[in-house]
Amino acid sequence: MSKDTHSLPDTRTWREIPQQVRPRAMSHEGRRRMAMGVMRVAFGAAVIAGVSWGAWEMVGVLRENPDAMPEAAKSDRVRSLVLVTDGVLDKNWLAKTLSIAPDATLMGLDLNQLRLRVLADAQVGSAAITRNFPDALTVRISERSPVARMMAQADDSQPRMLLVARDGIAFPGTGFDPAMIETLPWIDGIRLSRVGKAIAPIEGMKSVSDLLGAAKLEAENLYRTWKVISLAHLSTDGEIEVHTRDGMKITFGTKEDYLRQIARLDLLVDDSSDPTRPLREVNLALGSQVPVSYGKAAPTIGAPPVSTLNPRAARPQAPMPAFSIPRIDTHSEL
Amino acid sequence: MSSKTTFIGAVEIGTSKVTALIGEYTGREIAIIGCGECSSRGVIKGSVVDYRAATECTHNALELAERDANERIDHVFLAQTGGHLEGFYNEASLNVKAADNMIDMDDIRRVCDLAKAKELPLGRMVVHNIRRPFRVDGRLVPTSPENLVGQKLEVGYWTVHGQEQRLADNIHVIRGFNLEVRELVLSSLASGHMVTSMEERQNGVLAIDIGAGTTDYVLYRNGAPHATGVAAVGGGHFTNDISIGLRLTESQAEKLKLRFGRASVQSRDKNEKVWLDGNFSIGDRQFSRQAIENITAARAWELLEVVKKKLGTSFSPDSCPGGVVLTGGGAKLPAISECASKVFGTSARLGEAPSWVNENLRDPGYHTALGILYYGVSAQGDRSAGARRKGGFFRNVTRLFAST
Repeated sequence: MSKDTHSLPDTRTWREIPQQVRPRAMSHEGRRRMAMGVMRVAFGAAVIAGVSWGAWEMVGVLRENPDAMPEAAKSDRVRSLVLVTDGVLDKNWLAKTLSIAPDATLMGLDLNQLRLRVLADAQVGSAAITRNFPDALTVRISERSPVARMMAQADDSQPRMLLVARDGIAFPGTGFDPAMIETLPWIDGIRLSRVGKAIAPIEGMKSVSDLLGAAKLEAENLYRTWKVISLAHLSTDGEIEVHTRDGMKITFGTKEDYLRQIARLDLLVDDSSDPTRPLREVNLALGSQVPVSYGKAAPTIGAPPVSTLNPRAARPQAPMPAFSIPRIDTHSEL
Repeated sequence: MSSKTTFIGAVEIGTSKVTALIGEYTGREIAIIGCGECSSRGVIKGSVVDYRAATECTHNALELAERDANERIDHVFLAQTGGHLEGFYNEASLNVKAADNMIDMDDIRRVCDLAKAKELPLGRMVVHNIRRPFRVDGRLVPTSPENLVGQKLEVGYWTVHGQEQRLADNIHVIRGFNLEVRELVLSSLASGHMVTSMEERQNGVLAIDIGAGTTDYVLYRNGAPHATGVAAVGGGHFTNDISIGLRLTESQAEKLKLRFGRASVQSRDKNEKVWLDGNFSIGDRQFSRQAIENITAARAWELLEVVKKKLGTSFSPDSCPGGVVLTGGGAKLPAISECASKVFGTSARLGEAPSWVNENLRDPGYHTALGILYYGVSAQGDRSAGARRKGGFFRNVTRLFAST
């Protein structure tokens, strides 16, 4: 018989019957046995995972353990410091901060200690230190970016300028461009407290940071005029007061979108471009109702007196009624 | 306990009772360490008709066996019976392909595949493919014909197939206990192997297992099963006949059958009476012993005739020098062997379990479960041999998870 076995009919056997049954079709004991089986598998998996993790940790410990390192590696001195940062700090700062002895060996360093030294500078948000054999130490840091500045007396010395980051941490600010620092507004109306030797994080800086960020991005011409940011009414009224260089007070509310408020402010400033009636106060914290008050133009050198330019300005300033400004779609407007 | 020790479960879901045995196999010997038995419910003629009832009694038996053994099993070998099981014979032959006519494994594999290839009716599934001895140029080869020289290689298979739904029902009853069915074993093969010797099987012997709902039989020839079958008649029909003939309830008829039933009529006195209960209680009745014997003898004769008819030309007294061996609960009927001897025209005897079987399990009702256990040991031996060849740590780990 020379029949090709590939064309043989396919006979079905009882083994093709699926044995699995729904839990509902199982007896109580069957369900209990199944649960025990699942637990057994889970326990086995947990044991395997635990053993794997332990082995991994063991390898890590052996890697870090100076006793397990070759003598050559232990005796090598640290020859280079590598700084990887997203900010402005440089190698000099790093060398000064770490203060590693000239004859220190790479394996002799206590990395945890060094990391604490790096983190002691509040400008550093996070840090990771690794040994790069044979003789390099790599420090990876992420720095805090300043959003404002303030004057404070951090210790017994004279008051000095500190920069404030978005998370409310104040730090001296090393390596920043002075011109950039000059553009930062001052923070006012805050109550400072100490945590150990450092200043406790300033509350509300996230809101301030959002406001300043929005202003800087969408209306830089306005932002440049902002001199002082007062947080005096932030916690009580939810308002941030901004004092400009030309004496205007702008009140922002924290409940409404800052972009919308800045757009309204921009519109108001554009509409009130008359130098004889400068804006004195603008309150944007009340939604679409924006009370404003006008002031008298300050006499400037070489400029004619205000009264000669605008006789109405010489009259005592009457309080202006609040007027309504149409709602502005900031997305389409900006 | 050695690492080679395995626990083997054997389950028989019968019409009258469910039996579960647990054996501890050490690689060389097996010890029966657990036995659970429960009255069967929801099973008629070997088929599950009430899933919940059948599940309940089967699980009870399994729990009892596990408690008795104080061990847990995760798979069982399950006895399979029922009127839906049928068998047919199919053979194939091929010309040996090697130029020197030496038979190799490829020839054997091909001829076996050809002999097993037979389309089944829709909804039927193969339960067993029982190989008969090879023939090389007409010469009988009881073992493997590999490396023998011949031009023509022949082999035949006795294929047992059953209805898919009924097979699935039995499997799901076991699976409901979160146990895997490792193998389905024909009840007739299991019990037949227990009550016949190798010599008898070599010469030719017919083993008949009379259960409560079905009667399983296997005809051995040349050391291998030649034909198997199931007759949907069993000891329960004896009870039913007495119940109808004497107008009794099933339980009363069962009582009379066990006490006075015979496979041949012994009583010559029509007036000889027997009491139903015999305890002088109110309502106790008398019945003619001859009437009872007439009913049971007629039914026994008929049952054995059915088996003979089903065997057809496969059976002849000349080809069966080992005679007829009777087992199962129904074989406890007095004079059944004489009746079988008359029907089949050959010697007949009652089957006995091997001497190593514990006294408690020597009852004919346990022969099937014992045979399944024996089958499980053989399968375990094959598996162990395979594992030794392919073994390894990862394979064992894989099996650990697969078993859950």
